[in-house]
Amino acid sequence: MLELRSVCKRFPAVTAVDNVSFSARPGEVTGYLGPNGSGKSTTLKMITGLIGMTSGEILFDGGRIHRDLLNFKRRFGYVPEEPHLYSHLTGLEYLVMVGQLRGLPSKRTAERIDGLLQLLGLHGSRHSPLSAYSKGMRQKVLLSAALLHNPDLILLDEPFSGLDVTSALVIRNLLKEMARRGKVVLLSSHELETVERVCTRVVILHRAKVVADDSIERLRTLMALPTLEDIFSQLAVEQDPVSISRQIVDLVFA
Amino acid sequence: MVKTQFRILYRQFLFRIVDVELLSAQGETSKLLGQFASLLVFLGMIFSFPLWALTGDDLPARARLLASWELEHFLIATTMLIVGLFAVLSWDSTLPDQRDVLVLAPLPVRASTMFLAKVAAIATGLAVTVAILNVLPGIPAPLAFAPLNSGLIGLPRSFAAYWITIFAAGAFILCCVLGLQGLAAQVLPRRQFLRVSSFLQIAAFCLFVSAYFLQPSLTSLEALTAAENQYWLACLPSYWFLGLFQQLNGSMQPALAPLAVRAWEGLAIAGSATAFVYSLSYFRMLGRIAEEPDIVPRFRRWRWLPGLGGSLETAIGQFSIRTLLRSRKHRLILAFYLGIGLALTILFVGLLVNLQQPRVGSVNILWREPNAGMLLSSVIIMFFGVLGTRVGFAMPLDLTANWIFRVTPVGGVTECLQANRRALLVLAVTPVWVGSAVIFLWLWPWWPAVGHLAVLAILGIAAAEVALAGFRKIPFTCSYLPGKSNLHLTFWLCVLALGLLVDQGAVLELHALWHPASCAVMIAILLIALALARKRTVVQTKSEALEFEDAPPPAVMVLGLHQD
Repeated sequence: MLELRSVCKRFPAVTAVDNVSFSARPGEVTGYLGPNGSGKSTTLKMITGLIGMTSGEILFDGGRIHRDLLNFKRRFGYVPEEPHLYSHLTGLEYLVMVGQLRGLPSKRTAERIDGLLQLLGLHGSRHSPLSAYSKGMRQKVLLSAALLHNPDLILLDEPFSGLDVTSALVIRNLLKEMARRGKVVLLSSHELETVERVCTRVVILHRAKVVADDSIERLRTLMALPTLEDIFSQLAVEQDPVSISRQIVDLVFA
Repeated sequence: MVKTQFRILYRQFLFRIVDVELLSAQGETSKLLGQFASLLVFLGMIFSFPLWALTGDDLPARARLLASWELEHFLIATTMLIVGLFAVLSWDSTLPDQRDVLVLAPLPVRASTMFLAKVAAIATGLAVTVAILNVLPGIPAPLAFAPLNSGLIGLPRSFAAYWITIFAAGAFILCCVLGLQGLAAQVLPRRQFLRVSSFLQIAAFCLFVSAYFLQPSLTSLEALTAAENQYWLACLPSYWFLGLFQQLNGSMQPALAPLAVRAWEGLAIAGSATAFVYSLSYFRMLGRIAEEPDIVPRFRRWRWLPGLGGSLETAIGQFSIRTLLRSRKHRLILAFYLGIGLALTILFVGLLVNLQQPRVGSVNILWREPNAGMLLSSVIIMFFGVLGTRVGFAMPLDLTANWIFRVTPVGGVTECLQANRRALLVLAVTPVWVGSAVIFLWLWPWWPAVGHLAVLAILGIAAAEVALAGFRKIPFTCSYLPGKSNLHLTFWLCVLALGLLVDQGAVLELHALWHPASCAVMIAILLIALALARKRTVVQTKSEALEFEDAPPPAVMVLGLHQD
């Protein structure tokens, strides 16, 4: 289980994450929601060790991750928000390099890479440099790299961006299946409809703080609202979208 | 409206000359530019010392004339080299790229405004580079170069002549590079042009460096008028501008008159041809970029790379090899250092031929006996190969993509040091050693060849160890923080000292190669030095965390006098 306890991240001018506590359990896909700038990506970067915390602690399976970060890195797979890859490498070379960096046995990794590329429809372009890949293809490479070592914890930051409908459906089901097989899945996304279909539980951030942490069903009942979009609007949307859009049009026409 | 657009675009293009994407988050473009400027000012300061010495009246007239010609030519040639390197380095920013088109094409900006802003930015870059390099030599230059008895008008005339010549020489080289680039862009399809560009850059780099180091010194009246030198004088533009300076300075010797004419002709041809070809290719390229993508990837037939030990060593080693082979920027850095090494090698081998050929009678016989020139050359190439590769390691590629190394369990600095060591050995030491082995085993008797190859291997490994001391990074993944110009200057002084040491070492080695006992002692000493270098590298590189952001030097220096 992944557990965050009173995690804070303060930058000189702003508090990006303020006293955030929640847990993501095995067998569940936990949705991590919030408006732009609410601290979702920062939280994921802190979990991966890409940036440090100002205070608080993060635990995985009861142990503090920073006590043995190297060992923790062996156990998670991460899909970042932006598909930044070494574009001078081919898709295959990139995945082989990730496998080597993770110290995976080469023969088994090669088979796994081959399988992942086949299933995700990248096998034909595996020898093309990543600079020639579309955004969706890059996203699939990132996902393959994150799953290559069969991680216990899967962290995904906007994994559906740039994906076509079929691929999005595949990944949606893939996440459910991974959770069903006992993995901890933390999914950060703006696509509320997808989150509603995939996640069993959601954590909603607003202004760097957790404003909701419960199962979607329970939130629906408690707040007496029919959809996740309504719940999110109630908790994290401050301005009326209709009014804002009207103001924009007025401004442009003025 | 057009003026405002021009001003905005001019600023954008001017600062795009520097590749800001490799900078650390703490780094500033102004600091990087300041670092370049300080390096150029430092060079200028060194160049100005002999000029001050020339301003006195204690030299005989003929000696003064010869010294002033030598210095004038040196300053012109150095300015041309620096501008040439500047032009090659800013190759990518001189023609429009996809970013320009994607951002600017949807906006109501005329192509001519973009073109003029680009030309103005390039001209500013050239002017600033030339001015900074020559600001200190430019003060004593009129005093040193003004003709004797030229009266009051002599000094301002000499001042104007100096700056006009220097700027003209710089403009000539810049025009040649832009012209070459424009011509290639004009003749070749865009994708071919992008592919060929990197080779053209490297060729231009090697040409400038080699021409600078290898051109003969022809700054005496006898040399300038000798029939056998006329070919060289016709081929070397730095001498044309020496003639131009003499003409403008009012100190023209008849022997230099044809050179001045050649300078004017060269300037006119290069300027007009470049203006035509460059403008044509600029506007055509704007259209082509919108229609065609950048380089289309090719199917790669040679994909296999050997393993380099454990999985981490293999991952980092193969990543380094692929990056160095595929990144134009990094290949250019390596080419710069190898170009200097090659030029020095040709210089030493040339000296050897000149000195020893009368003794042995034939160059063929000369090559086939062990000699200090070839020993020295192989060591220099090895040294510059290691140096160039190590400098390339420190320059990042695609900084935003380095997260993968940060989220994977790559271990600490010690594990990475071993991987970096292997990468450096594979990329720099092994190719030079193998090349040397082929040459030495082919040309020399068996025993001295094997002896020298053993020495070269130890020196190469030791150079790699020294180069990696304090390198707590994965190659090509750490950002670059400017503002360490003092470090770079110290480094180059060390290179100079090492050059002298290698020179003496080659003589000693030559002696030892004929005596097995001496050879064994020499190899033993080198092995001890290697062990010490390795120990020093391990100690200096000791750290818990790998660096992905270049850190500024500490504000407070610690002397480390405490006892642990």
